[in-house]
Amino acid sequence: MSSSTLVFTSSDGVDITVDRDVAERSLLIKNMLEDLGESGEPIPIPNVNEAVLKKVIEWCTHHKNDPPSTGDDDDSRRKTTDIDEWDQKFMQVDQEMLFEIILAANYLDIKGLLDVGCKTVANMIKGKSPEEIRKTFNIQNDFTAEEEDQIRRENEWAEDR
Amino acid sequence: MSPRETSTVTSRRRPSLSFRTRPRTAASSTHQTTGLENDVWGGAAAADAANDEGQVLEEMNHFPEPVPRHREARSFSSLRHPVDGLRALGRRLSVTIRNKSSRHSTQHHHHDYLDDLSHEQEFTPRNRHSWCKGTSINSRPSHSNVSVLHGIYTPTTSAHAPIPGHGLEPPILPDDIYAGAAARAAAAAQNELARAEMDGAKCSDTRLTRDSESGIGIDLRDRSELSDPDLAILRLDPVTQLPPEVMSHIFIYLDPQSLMQCEIVSRAWSEQASSRHIWRHVFRHTYGHRLPSGISKKKRSAGLGKTLPDQDWKRMFLVRRALEHRWKEGKAAAIYLHGHKDSVYCAQFDEDKIITGSRDRTIRVWDAHYPWPCRKIIGPPPGDVAGIGPINNPSQQSSGKPPFLTICAPPTLSADITTPIEQASEYHSASILCLQFDDEIMVTGSSDYTCIVWDIQDDYKPIRRLEGHRAGVLDVCFDDRYIVSCSKDTTICVWDRHTGALVKRLVGHRGPVNAVQLRGDLIVSASGDGVAKLWNIASGHCVKEFHSKDRGLACVEFSDDARTILTGGNDQVIYQFDANTGDMVNELRGHVGLVRSLHLDSVGQRIVSGSYDMSVKVFDAQTGELSIDLPGWTTSWMLSVKSDYRRIVATSQDSRAVIMDFGYGLDGIELLEE
Repeated sequence: MSSSTLVFTSSDGVDITVDRDVAERSLLIKNMLEDLGESGEPIPIPNVNEAVLKKVIEWCTHHKNDPPSTGDDDDSRRKTTDIDEWDQKFMQVDQEMLFEIILAANYLDIKGLLDVGCKTVANMIKGKSPEEIRKTFNIQNDFTAEEEDQIRRENEWAEDR
Repeated sequence: MSPRETSTVTSRRRPSLSFRTRPRTAASSTHQTTGLENDVWGGAAAADAANDEGQVLEEMNHFPEPVPRHREARSFSSLRHPVDGLRALGRRLSVTIRNKSSRHSTQHHHHDYLDDLSHEQEFTPRNRHSWCKGTSINSRPSHSNVSVLHGIYTPTTSAHAPIPGHGLEPPILPDDIYAGAAARAAAAAQNELARAEMDGAKCSDTRLTRDSESGIGIDLRDRSELSDPDLAILRLDPVTQLPPEVMSHIFIYLDPQSLMQCEIVSRAWSEQASSRHIWRHVFRHTYGHRLPSGISKKKRSAGLGKTLPDQDWKRMFLVRRALEHRWKEGKAAAIYLHGHKDSVYCAQFDEDKIITGSRDRTIRVWDAHYPWPCRKIIGPPPGDVAGIGPINNPSQQSSGKPPFLTICAPPTLSADITTPIEQASEYHSASILCLQFDDEIMVTGSSDYTCIVWDIQDDYKPIRRLEGHRAGVLDVCFDDRYIVSCSKDTTICVWDRHTGALVKRLVGHRGPVNAVQLRGDLIVSASGDGVAKLWNIASGHCVKEFHSKDRGLACVEFSDDARTILTGGNDQVIYQFDANTGDMVNELRGHVGLVRSLHLDSVGQRIVSGSYDMSVKVFDAQTGELSIDLPGWTTSWMLSVKSDYRRIVATSQDSRAVIMDFGYGLDGIELLEE
């Protein structure tokens, strides 16, 4: 006799109504509902603001019919950083939003969204030189030239090349 | 060697000629060559024996010290040295630029630029990410962003069990005075964060994310003043933004090369990107193409190391990469095992041992490690006649890869290692032509028409003899259920592994069946009649046929996924067939003699072949291209080849087995042993 919608309250105090099957893409929410039952009260999501929460719900809505992830796909999902077209467009956001989505997915335990977010960041790193990575994320190089050289040497080790 | 004896005992190569039904004109010429080779070998053997007496264990030590590569370093040093003057100027310039751009800076750390002299900072983004709309930030209230960044850390870390290592190892603060203040602030934030995680502190006021708050504040103030929209792209360091477990989730998606680049980005990145957990995944993903499970019980090491708690996975990756490089270069050491008194027909090996079978009627078990002693001789006690020495055939080496080092394993006195066998019924009375072993049993096939099943776990005691063939057993293979043997009598016998009962006899070949392979319910066999047949064990019927273009087949290989069949023989090429369609999909060329033995390493994607042209060749399993040519490592025909991630073991008619070890002397190679 559970109702078909839930209400989330974002960290900035905005109430958002969500379909229950969408909300249950979040294992945190799903487990909470299973453990505590449904009170009918709005569920506070203290760590996610309205803008991010709306993005997360958008993703969960699109993926609400995905088969639940099984434990043993752990290896296969690591195999590729391919992202499907919809997810790619979904992830066309600035870095701050991207990281917030990842943090929210991690907190709410939405495995598929966390994977897509992490793949997106991995694709921003892939194939780049350290300097290009620094530029991409505005990182300051705190290695001395000698230290940097040392790491390069260690990584390039291959006997008699 | 009397002619009669030759025809019965070396049945494995002759029958393909004698049983052939198709008329051949070239056959006689092959025969002549064969005879010639034998004579040459016989002569050389005597001469070589003398040479070999005083051989030291390692004849030469060409093995070079690992030399660091300078290719990358060159560009780096060119930056460093000649540009010192320019660099100083650059620093001065960058100070002014930085001061100017700091107003636009989207970075949220407090920068002390006077302190930051050695590092050029780039606040002006050069990568134009057109997709990234700077205005999207403005659509969200900044205070809520800040609170999100604050708040999320606590539940994130409390909701998950802390990953060992991360929580207890706070980042090291850079202590050299030239390091950037911003990075120090970032690292301090990390330290603080790590400490807070350890304490399980809930109070967000004490969390050190203040700088991110001020950073975002500045960002929003400055945005209105920006004229160049490119500057509006917000750039944040994920290592400071995301908890370590999420960062490692990201890093695991990277290829090894990208991951190594990450280690150079900054200290904080270096620490996270070099974690063992990440490198274990990356190493296994790079080299551990998963084998289809359940189909084959072949125990062959894939060189992925042992799963121990403190394995240095990154080092293992580097060693493995160096090993792959040696394969690419064809650089291997030759380690000769001598002791057999006649042709060595067959071999199989694992990480621990190499087992060979010979025309001298003995089976020998060798240690797979230095100094490769012979551990055991199974068979009639032989006399201690000096073996034949390791002589590479110099005339054969001009075009191919000679060993970079030649080692002759010290001979072991056979008296010490021969098992006293009371009854002749407990060993083969003729040549050992084929063998296979797993963790429990070994099965050998012999010219005495029988197979013997041996107990590997109980000191190679014979368990039973399989009798049923009416001529020499030319090849044998087995899995969990069946032992399959094929014979010069043109039949294939399927035996119950556990009882030794004859389950089925597969009849249909019109020549001696030289080779057989088993995958699940499927058997593929190759015959001197020039046809390879695919059989279904359950029905006992031949399902498909794969014809050579001309002459008899000597060997066959069945891929682990049972999709590809390779055959080799007197056409001197290797045929590749699609097992499903039956189509010939490729012909691998390079050999100039009968292809006697084939081995497919599906993990390493290598096809290894041994031929009567006295060479071992390695082909790329995907393209079929010849990748390594190893001619003349022995002085006579190559009879059997097998390979794993680091070596090829080949046996020869010159009574030796040779380990072609691509990992020899490679620093850390032992880490890859499974």
